[in-house]
Amino acid sequence: MSQFDDPSPKSQLTAHEQRAEAEALFTSIGDGAISTDEFGRITRVNPAAQELLGYSEEELIGTWFPKKIVAVTAEDKPITLIDRPITKAFLTGKPIAEKTYYRRKNGQKIALSVNASPILLNGKPLGAIEVFRDITLEQEIDRMKSEFISLASHQLRTPLSAIKTYTHMLYDGYSGKLNQSQKKSLNTIISASDRMNELISTLLNITRMESGTIGVTPKLLRIDKIAEEVVKELSLTASSKSVKLSAGTKGHRSTSIKTDALIVKEIITNLASNAIKYTPESGSVSLVVRPQAASIIIDIVDSGWGIPKDSQDQVFSKFFRAHNIVKRETTGTGLGLYLVKGLVDALGGRIWFVSDEEKGTTFSFSLPRRDISSGRIKRD
Amino acid sequence: MPAPANSSIYDQVVRVTHVYLGPAADRFIARQVENHLHKSPDELSQADLLSLIDWIKVVVSLLTEDNELVEEYTNELQKLAGDHAKSKRA
Repeated sequence: MSQFDDPSPKSQLTAHEQRAEAEALFTSIGDGAISTDEFGRITRVNPAAQELLGYSEEELIGTWFPKKIVAVTAEDKPITLIDRPITKAFLTGKPIAEKTYYRRKNGQKIALSVNASPILLNGKPLGAIEVFRDITLEQEIDRMKSEFISLASHQLRTPLSAIKTYTHMLYDGYSGKLNQSQKKSLNTIISASDRMNELISTLLNITRMESGTIGVTPKLLRIDKIAEEVVKELSLTASSKSVKLSAGTKGHRSTSIKTDALIVKEIITNLASNAIKYTPESGSVSLVVRPQAASIIIDIVDSGWGIPKDSQDQVFSKFFRAHNIVKRETTGTGLGLYLVKGLVDALGGRIWFVSDEEKGTTFSFSLPRRDISSGRIKRD
Repeated sequence: MPAPANSSIYDQVVRVTHVYLGPAADRFIARQVENHLHKSPDELSQADLLSLIDWIKVVVSLLTEDNELVEEYTNELQKLAGDHAKSKRA
């Protein structure tokens, strides 16, 4: 029997050995770890925590954790004791994971991802443990990435809007009458710059979504009105393909809901323009609003080419494009549904679909009637 | 603080807690009962008191550094558990 065949069950270890094992485990964790007794006094602190906070073990052991380790907000304001992760873990009875800032011994603020949990023995709380990781670098990279995308998008959009404006002027005969061939070329430039504009917006939105900086501003609004607006805005696109586009409501319940109008419109527009794009000529696309007791469901039903069964589990992945579509349509980026899923999540909703190849697809998403939090989306 | 004989255990716990936590007492105790004992406040029974006190002690210890005050508060709650045991035996 090799040494690896002996699992040494816990029951065979002495209490002393078990303590030594627990101690080694605690000490060797790469993240900072602090445990407290039932009075919130620090009982253990590992080397990573000492390094992160700048205190020695002697300076921390026996001190009252909430006072010794000061928690602050991103704006450097003290976090109240009741809002600290460790207190929340005890108030809710559940492990808490969130981003916060602690002040180091030298006064410097440090960004941390904190996991706090009660320590229980046979259901009785004996104290608490916090495990935390420095995320300063991650935050800085996120900030730089967002700043770069935002700057790049702005820089790309400015020349693009000049291209569009002057192309429209040429098309309208501002510099002289055009023949049909010249008009056709200008139309190609206009639709290509529109596509580029959409792509920039999508990239910008994805960056915001991934960095958790999409602002959610809940207001009372009527979903059926938003669906009608989208139908109006996409009617030209639909009629150019002879696709019948409509909107309607099923059921007697209210279509009013407190949520973010811009995000909802973006979701419906994205799903509806996808449906038009992937529906053959003379097909149909309908938006159906179905108010329920606790939510509102919006269906986007098309009679399009559908999504092959073997690709359906990847539909919401980044850069996904179904193989039956790639053959027919070359302009998609595969980012639309990934973005839509993120936006639905941001509103606390759910998204799903049913699809039959060559028959059509119905994308549905639900929005909860409860209030959603106002402000930045948190991603812990 | 003696509690009226006809008040529920929950009300008595809140009354004791009010001295230490003020107007937040009701909500605080309700959350402790719901989150840790997985019961609604009106289902709180004498058998739950000791377990509830364990949780209260740890949470309050994260809100104040004053161990003596925490001990005083939890002792008041312990008395309540004792009173109930006595009144049940009587």
